[in-house]
Amino acid sequence: MKLFFIIFSALLLVYMLWPGPGKISDFKALPQSDTSTLSGDTVQIPNVAGYFSNNFREFVVPFYVANYQQQAYFPFPPIRINHAPEYAWTAIKKYTDSTYLEELVYPLRDSLYVNGFEPFYSDGSSKFWGATKFAVNGHSWFTKVTLRFYPSNIIVKFLVWLGISLSILFTYKLGRKII
Amino acid sequence: MRKFLFWFITFIFAFIPLYPKFPLFNISGTFVAVRLEDILIAIAIFLWGISVILSGSLKDLVNDRLNQAILLFFFVGIVSTFSAIFLTHSVVPHLSFLHFLRRVEFILLLPLVVDVVKKKSQLITVLVVLALTVLAVNLYALGQQYLDFPVISTSNSEFAKGLILRLTPGARVNSTFAGHYDLAVFLTMTITILTSLFFVLKKRFRLPVIILGGLSLFVLVMTAARQSFFAAFAGMMLVFVLANKKKYIFLFVVATIVILLYPSQLRDRLVSTITVNLFQQGARYQGKTQDQQIRSKLNIPTLAIKTSSQSASASSFASPSGKLATDIAPGEPVNTTQLGVFRSFEIRLNIEWPRAIEAFIKNPFLGTGYSSIDIATDNDFLRSLGEVGLLGTIALILVFVEIGKRIFLAFKSDTKLIRFFSVGVFSMMIAFLINGLFIDVLEASKVASLLWLMLGLGLAAGQI
Repeated sequence: MKLFFIIFSALLLVYMLWPGPGKISDFKALPQSDTSTLSGDTVQIPNVAGYFSNNFREFVVPFYVANYQQQAYFPFPPIRINHAPEYAWTAIKKYTDSTYLEELVYPLRDSLYVNGFEPFYSDGSSKFWGATKFAVNGHSWFTKVTLRFYPSNIIVKFLVWLGISLSILFTYKLGRKII
Repeated sequence: MRKFLFWFITFIFAFIPLYPKFPLFNISGTFVAVRLEDILIAIAIFLWGISVILSGSLKDLVNDRLNQAILLFFFVGIVSTFSAIFLTHSVVPHLSFLHFLRRVEFILLLPLVVDVVKKKSQLITVLVVLALTVLAVNLYALGQQYLDFPVISTSNSEFAKGLILRLTPGARVNSTFAGHYDLAVFLTMTITILTSLFFVLKKRFRLPVIILGGLSLFVLVMTAARQSFFAAFAGMMLVFVLANKKKYIFLFVVATIVILLYPSQLRDRLVSTITVNLFQQGARYQGKTQDQQIRSKLNIPTLAIKTSSQSASASSFASPSGKLATDIAPGEPVNTTQLGVFRSFEIRLNIEWPRAIEAFIKNPFLGTGYSSIDIATDNDFLRSLGEVGLLGTIALILVFVEIGKRIFLAFKSDTKLIRFFSVGVFSMMIAFLINGLFIDVLEASKVASLLWLMLGLGLAAGQI
């Protein structure tokens, strides 16, 4: 059991400290897009990036899943968690328009939130009255995607690993006495 | 000091159920407020801490296996909070820390009571105070229903400011508990304990206990809380089995069937649970216009959509007769009782439980921290997994297992009162955990505090 615990802890430490993306600019920009420089996008708030494009959710999320996996050097993709659009005000920033919000996460590591605002269906028909295209740099785009990356530093990861390892150790020892 | 602490804690036993949930001061970012009882509990814990240090019993306390399990639970809570703030970024730091402190506040009541209640006379004193408290809570509930007594509720952020309300038609009583579910859980605990004590009492005390138990059951039915009714049933059954009073079981089952057959909101909700939630029956609202039908498929159903102007202008959800809920959406049951039951389950199934599971996936060992999965999950086990992960949940399970084992040992006590009271407390704990399958009982301040107080009393009784 002792050996199993040591191996497990060592593997967990390697997994948690494994190098990966450290900032939002490590992720690719959406293909054929205009980078948003609107207030709060890309240039003002750290680790936020906004893109106007004609890419819809079916393309955008798998694109960033692949990109995140590539950046993290893992043989498996990050987990996709679907959030309610209203959570965008918390996860991205306040007043973020949203029709979908997904979180790409490697458990016990960092999260990349992918928020999309799609006033139109992919066939070009509008979803609601008042839907308008985004006019940026002389282009006209159907969708806006905003990313927010939540990195954590290596000391935090190490301390969390230490906390987990100690908790497992204490739980095991006490559990044997109680059960 | 110990004597003073005993009277102080006896006062807290009565104060927590009786004092309405008036906020003392508010915390930014949440409508959960600090209340007077938090201050009283903090004072009690502080004084107890001093007395422990002065009496030199700190080492003994720390060496106790149950206290070690509690300390482990706190340790995982601290690591989880740290991870939530700095690794998963899933909490507002001060809220997470305060939620952690809430757990500490509630759970420390257990060792405090164990340490303070040392004599049989003290146990009896607390039980008498509790019986009078239960009577007052029940009478106040009846007053709300029939005499328009004030209602204090925390069911939404506006009510939680301490508004004085009155019961509206069809609303359920909450007595001094600010929520009908909390009251129902309290009554579940009460009924279970009273059932066990019934067998200990001399004949002249049995009638008052039957009246108090019957009154509690009546108010429990008035709350129409299905889960708590089921938990009370399970708790009482367990008492009969563990106390070796099996001849009462048949009578009890018949009485339960009679209660369920008698027309009440509880019966209607139970029937709707089966017909609507399990068998998907009942007439559903189809949507009067194309506008409503399309909108209900959007994830933002309030968005104006592109349909004919005639369709959009006729899209009122409220029916002129008032028979339909004003906010009904296509696909929901038309009947208002069925609608309430339907939403109650759908919210859990589609929002609250998946949110907790997602939090668990993000950090299986530590969860995403206290307060990270909103104010309610309506399942304490999923909530625990989501907030403090496997490690926190296992630590909490160890606490309950150790408590259960100790109370179980007291079943063999030579003193009849302690034997039956232990059976009652054990059954109450199981009934409480059954409530936790659909309600966040371990976080509901009043009933959570009372749980740890009662478990402490159960353990103290075992040591007398």
